[in-house]
Amino acid sequence: MTIKKKLFEIICLLLFLHVKMTATKVPEVRDITRIERIGAHSHIRGLGLDDALEPRQVCQGMVGQLAARRAAGIILEMIKDGHIAGRAVLIAGQPGTGKTAIAMGIAQSLGQDTPFTAIAGSEIFSLEMSKTEALSQAFRKAIGVRIKEETEIIEGEVVEIQIDRPATGTGTKVGKLTLKTTEMETIYDLGSKMIESLSKERVQAGDVITIDKATGKINKLGRSFTRARDYDAMGAQTQFVQCPEGELQKRKEVVHTVSLHEIDVINSRTQGFLALFSGDTGEIKSEVREQINAKVSEWREEGKAEIIPGVLFIDEVHMLDMECFSFLNRALESDLSPVLIMATNRGITRIRGTNYQSPHGIPIDLLDRLIIIATSPYSEKETRQILKIRYEEEDVELSEEALTVLTRIGLETSLRYAIQLISTAGVVCRKRGGTEVQVEDIKRVYSLFLDESRSSQYMKEYQDSFLFNETQAAQMDTS
Amino acid sequence: MATQSWSDLLKASRKTVLVHDGKRKVHYLFSDGKELAEEYEMNTDELLVRKWRKKNAVGAQGPWEVEVGEPALSVESVLEPHVIKENSSNPLFMRKDTKTSFQWRIRNLPYPKDVYMVSVEPKERCCIIRTTNKKYYKKFSIPDMDRCQLPLESSALTFTHANNTLIISYKKPKEILTLEQELLRNVKKIKSVNDGDGDCKTQ
Repeated sequence: MTIKKKLFEIICLLLFLHVKMTATKVPEVRDITRIERIGAHSHIRGLGLDDALEPRQVCQGMVGQLAARRAAGIILEMIKDGHIAGRAVLIAGQPGTGKTAIAMGIAQSLGQDTPFTAIAGSEIFSLEMSKTEALSQAFRKAIGVRIKEETEIIEGEVVEIQIDRPATGTGTKVGKLTLKTTEMETIYDLGSKMIESLSKERVQAGDVITIDKATGKINKLGRSFTRARDYDAMGAQTQFVQCPEGELQKRKEVVHTVSLHEIDVINSRTQGFLALFSGDTGEIKSEVREQINAKVSEWREEGKAEIIPGVLFIDEVHMLDMECFSFLNRALESDLSPVLIMATNRGITRIRGTNYQSPHGIPIDLLDRLIIIATSPYSEKETRQILKIRYEEEDVELSEEALTVLTRIGLETSLRYAIQLISTAGVVCRKRGGTEVQVEDIKRVYSLFLDESRSSQYMKEYQDSFLFNETQAAQMDTS
Repeated sequence: MATQSWSDLLKASRKTVLVHDGKRKVHYLFSDGKELAEEYEMNTDELLVRKWRKKNAVGAQGPWEVEVGEPALSVESVLEPHVIKENSSNPLFMRKDTKTSFQWRIRNLPYPKDVYMVSVEPKERCCIIRTTNKKYYKKFSIPDMDRCQLPLESSALTFTHANNTLIISYKKPKEILTLEQELLRNVKKIKSVNDGDGDCKTQ
């Protein structure tokens, strides 16, 4: 144990030295901080399948649920092929068994180019818009159209980057970038966003880069041949390219993906100053949609555009009511329909908007059109593994014993409750000056925060001393 | 024939004329959704501004693209934090025509006159400005000549340099001159909608 610790310290020291060395070499990357916050599913990076679609026990943040993940992998392949329109999948299982995680995994594996729209079943209920309009908008957000468009790009060799930080330390940074081609040279003023992405990409003098003028996207093409002899040591992947010729700014055709909904909005906006009042969230007329559909299929025939069917994920689908379900029945039949993934944690329950009971709160005729993936509760080993992934994600050190205790808590109460305890125990541990969460920290937060069953137990015992206990209200209807 | 088709296109377009601020402003709307706006000086009939606007592939309105005159600074570009833009010390290219010739002015070019080489590329249908010190390079076409499909000739091109400005002139051929006069006559015939209370046909 002590030898291990010593070794760890040495590695840390080495790492620290290494970091210091690289820091002196490239000081401009110093002020890049991690801005993403840690969400409930930020540890999910994919479905964790191998090439033969066989699930690995622990991979890409996924643990267990082998059958469900394998099924999701097959669905994923179907989506990637892009031939099948309007299929619907239902992920059903108890709370906290990874339904949303599987959907997120599919989204991550699909990548940036395939549209993935996630909504919750309750999101469509709004006073400003009808339920079916909200659903159609969600459907159309999940269909992408790849169109060629001309944009202005700047392509040149970097002569000089100059970034001035304000003397006070706060305020906006200003920067200048000098680019050249074989024929000309231009100085550009940089905005703060551009400065950040330039330092993130580690662009330096001698690099040949392209910049998309509208979006500010930087693409490093390689190093200029004229700089080939600057250093002896070069990374294996360093590519040498010629300095571009002619003008710095060029018009180039780029392919980009927009969703059908975006096209709808652009074309439905009333022109002139009235656009100020109508905004873009109003209802879109069905005539506009029909026109767009006709236009898009025309583009497709001419080879100008390509349709990418994406995924619409509706979480808590039992919150939809009867009208929505019958709308879904019809919407799925359209050939411009995405693959629909739904998730629910309900058993046999009342369909919202009716007095009928049905499995998952979904009418039988819709259920008949679905393929259902079931998730099952996690075993002890799996729970332990998930907790391990979560504490690594949340940057909390946990001792072996503490993890065992936490796993027990997770099994006896709920996985979500156990995950909540990680960060809270982390804070308790930090406050007492420790570096690793021990069993006592877990005990402390366990006594501070009630889980659902202890809370209801407390309610039952002390019901009488709460406010309004004498008026026996009707049970809330949650189905 | 080709000259004819361009003037036919103009004639077929929906036009609105407005006299304002000592300028005659003309707005053309073409059948394919393209818009053209021109501004003429009232007294001299000199063309001050000509700009285009068209819809992009998805159907959204693009920004005005200035062909003649000074590029207008939009309010957004001043207020919003920019991503990347040219430094104000860079050469500034703009077109400003006279009655008899197309003329381009490039400001902020401090180098002596013998640095510049201006040539016509009849095959590529454009003119090219080169500098021997490799500081400035510009390839530009003459849209008026393209629209009428007239050949470019290097004999028509001259340039001078004064006050940090390079001035390039291309003598307008006869066809262009007659076409412009005819267009202007037509525009003057259209009754102007003053004060904006008349109905605008192009809106």
